[in-house]
Amino acid sequence: MIGRFALKLLILVIALGALVPALAQDVIELEAWVAFSDHRYDWAVDTAERFNALQDDIHVDMVSVVDYDTIVNNYTLGREDGNYPEIVQLFDAALQFAVDSNWFSFAEEIIGGREEVLGHPVNFDDIIPVISNYYTVDGVWASVAWNTSTPIMYYNVDMLEQAGISELPQTWADVLDACAALQSLVDDGTISACASWPFSGWFIEQWLAQQNEYMVNNENGRAGRATEFNLDTDAYRAIAQFYRDLYSNGYFIFEGQDQWGPPTQNFISGKVAILMSSSAAARAVSEGAAETGFSLDTTGMVYNQDAPSGWVGNILGGATMWISNGLTPEAEDAAMAFLLFFSNTENSASWHTASGYVPVRNSSIELLQNLEPGNELLWDIPSGARVDIEADDWYAAFPNFLTASTQLGNSTVNNATRGSTYGTFQQSRPYYNGLVEDYMLNGGDLDAMIEDTNATLTELLQEYNFLFADE
Amino acid sequence: MEEIAYSVHPIIVTLVGALLGAGYFAFLRWQTQVGSVNISLLIGAISGALGATLLTAPLGYCMFQADQKSEDILVGWIAVALGLLLTLNIFSNLLWRYFRGQRLLPRGDTTPGAFRGRFGLLYALAVLSPTILVLIYFVYLPMFDTLRFSTFLARFGAPRTRFICVSNFSRMLSDVDYHSNLFLSFALSFGIILIAMSLALLIASMLNQPIRGANLYRTLLIWPYAISPIVAGSIFGLLLGTESGIVNRVLDLLFGTKVPWLVSIPAAQISVVLASVWNVIGFNILFYTAGLQTIPKDLLESASIDGASAWQRFARITFPLLSPFTFFLIVTNTIYAFFDTFGLIFVLTRGGPTESTFTAMYRVYVTGILASDIGKSTAQSLILFLIVVGITIVQFRVGQRRVQYGNY
Repeated sequence: MIGRFALKLLILVIALGALVPALAQDVIELEAWVAFSDHRYDWAVDTAERFNALQDDIHVDMVSVVDYDTIVNNYTLGREDGNYPEIVQLFDAALQFAVDSNWFSFAEEIIGGREEVLGHPVNFDDIIPVISNYYTVDGVWASVAWNTSTPIMYYNVDMLEQAGISELPQTWADVLDACAALQSLVDDGTISACASWPFSGWFIEQWLAQQNEYMVNNENGRAGRATEFNLDTDAYRAIAQFYRDLYSNGYFIFEGQDQWGPPTQNFISGKVAILMSSSAAARAVSEGAAETGFSLDTTGMVYNQDAPSGWVGNILGGATMWISNGLTPEAEDAAMAFLLFFSNTENSASWHTASGYVPVRNSSIELLQNLEPGNELLWDIPSGARVDIEADDWYAAFPNFLTASTQLGNSTVNNATRGSTYGTFQQSRPYYNGLVEDYMLNGGDLDAMIEDTNATLTELLQEYNFLFADE
Repeated sequence: MEEIAYSVHPIIVTLVGALLGAGYFAFLRWQTQVGSVNISLLIGAISGALGATLLTAPLGYCMFQADQKSEDILVGWIAVALGLLLTLNIFSNLLWRYFRGQRLLPRGDTTPGAFRGRFGLLYALAVLSPTILVLIYFVYLPMFDTLRFSTFLARFGAPRTRFICVSNFSRMLSDVDYHSNLFLSFALSFGIILIAMSLALLIASMLNQPIRGANLYRTLLIWPYAISPIVAGSIFGLLLGTESGIVNRVLDLLFGTKVPWLVSIPAAQISVVLASVWNVIGFNILFYTAGLQTIPKDLLESASIDGASAWQRFARITFPLLSPFTFFLIVTNTIYAFFDTFGLIFVLTRGGPTESTFTAMYRVYVTGILASDIGKSTAQSLILFLIVVGITIVQFRVGQRRVQYGNY
């Protein structure tokens, strides 16, 4: 008897279980992919839960994907078999591809002139212009800015002082001079080398922009679709030579292309005195430096003192949030509402403290400068929760977090510093970065190498254009 | 209809195939002295013509058109040769079976339990169908797509594709970088297979001794194979970092020196080989351990009574009797070294420094997945496929002579 009763109960439970989704059909389920897996992912999950708590009929689920490249690949493959999220974080290098693929609904078109979406204010004018500029495609705001960064320098001030350097390096020449001075610390075993940083194509792009040079023709692809690569420039040669000088003098510890962990570790553990990295590492590097016990200072990314243009400005890096096309109008609005919440004044300020990404709104910077008790803006990494910033002015208390905003704020916005946009960005990065790596490690005929790589990259770009560009 | 201009006309291609086929069959007829000369020549010509058109006709003989480059024509002839290899082998096999009065298809297994009777075949097919369907959907159809895409300029997400004949292949003929990728694949694979197999045999022989806790060692030694290449790469990345790596930390403490394991040549290549060896060796140990247990003890005992030294027993008895295992492991290790190490390379070196660990399979991954350039990457993967098939065939040919299967 009990067996039969249990069976009936089981059938009942299954039947009810089948009913639940039917009853809950009104809830709009949204999946959002982000390329973080550390405390920055925890922050994103927490903030999504805060959004979910605001209403019953929208539920956002955060999914962690390992890195920027992988997220693009997974989304691309997902589009092939219909398994992709409603919201996806795409990095700068995927901008042109995101536009060309026609896979996304543009944010401005979803908003359609409304001042708020489901009660979340749009307030587009509040976004810092250099950021909205970057992600505006043909005059239309395409995606929602969230994590914006720029490269900055991190210095171990104790080491610099020991070597008799009183002013932080600002230029390439300053770095080489500082490294020459730091050599005494290398000789006595205090440090392993002068500098170490991730060997990333991103820095090459930044240094070209600083020197007012384009990566691709048609003004970096901003004045029209790019059709040719533009590596045959003095600016690019200077970058290769700078790396060669650093490396051949034994100043630079090379940890391989696109390896971000080891160089940061080298700096945090006190093995090198100079690190160049994203401002998004500010939080992690600050905590690491405090743990090891040295004083940390930051400046903007060092520049080529011999460039005819001088320092023009830096490109912003990072990623933005895109909404997949083909959603119902309700789901589109729900996704938009979430992204507006995700990047509103308070959340953008909190996100900044959690990482070092630049606050994307002017109002967030104002908020961080005029703090009041009970602000609950600081992301506490161990507990995974927001706590109070115990200061009146965040930037006065933590000046290293201001460096990135200052650098972007001082940048002249033109088509060099808006950065390049073209379809084979991701594919091309290892080529122009690899060329510099090759020259740094082995020397050789730089002109011939550039001619060769430039031709290869132009051919790839033209093939891409043939498949994607409007005829 | 517009006349297409050819530099080599399809009729000539077909005739060349027919001539080669007839010639080959005539040679076989002369060699075997079995069957009718006329039928041999006829079937030879037909299968030659078929082979020459097998891979070229579906592409409309595009590689032989007048506007193609000389590399494309060369690829065309290679396609003819591959087609001939396939058809001539199959047809000669069938024809000489016929001449000798044998069944055209090898007789199936007639041991008890085999499917017999009127509905035997039907029943067998019904039982097999789930597997066959899965294979068709997940293996054969994608493979067909791979063939198709390799003749296209195509990218994920693109609104159009473009048929480019065999350009993806002919480009590889003149691409020096790709040649070095291929050479590197062979060199690294050779290193991986050699070390992974000899070390595995050594360890398995040691494990075969009556030692305390042998089961525990066995489990621990097989463990690394359960780890995916990506994770293996991450582990070795932590071990081998120049400044923060554990290995260099120890070297620095003991000898005051650091080796740039992942960022210098040939250290990076050695690192990739060692990490791959570590990853695959458990698999080899597993099979060698099993193999060693099949070797009859009495054989070894009588040899030792006859005065054979330990080395002689190993070289004359153990190693030859292990040959089926060795043969199997060479094939699987080749496949591992060629195809499965790219994840490890991605994590460990990204193909660097200066492309010194950029293998052909890693190129397929970078081109196809990272860059979405699927036309080129499918062509590259087909080349790799052909190479591994070629190696396997050679191994089978050599192996059949050397490997001793048998009932002891």
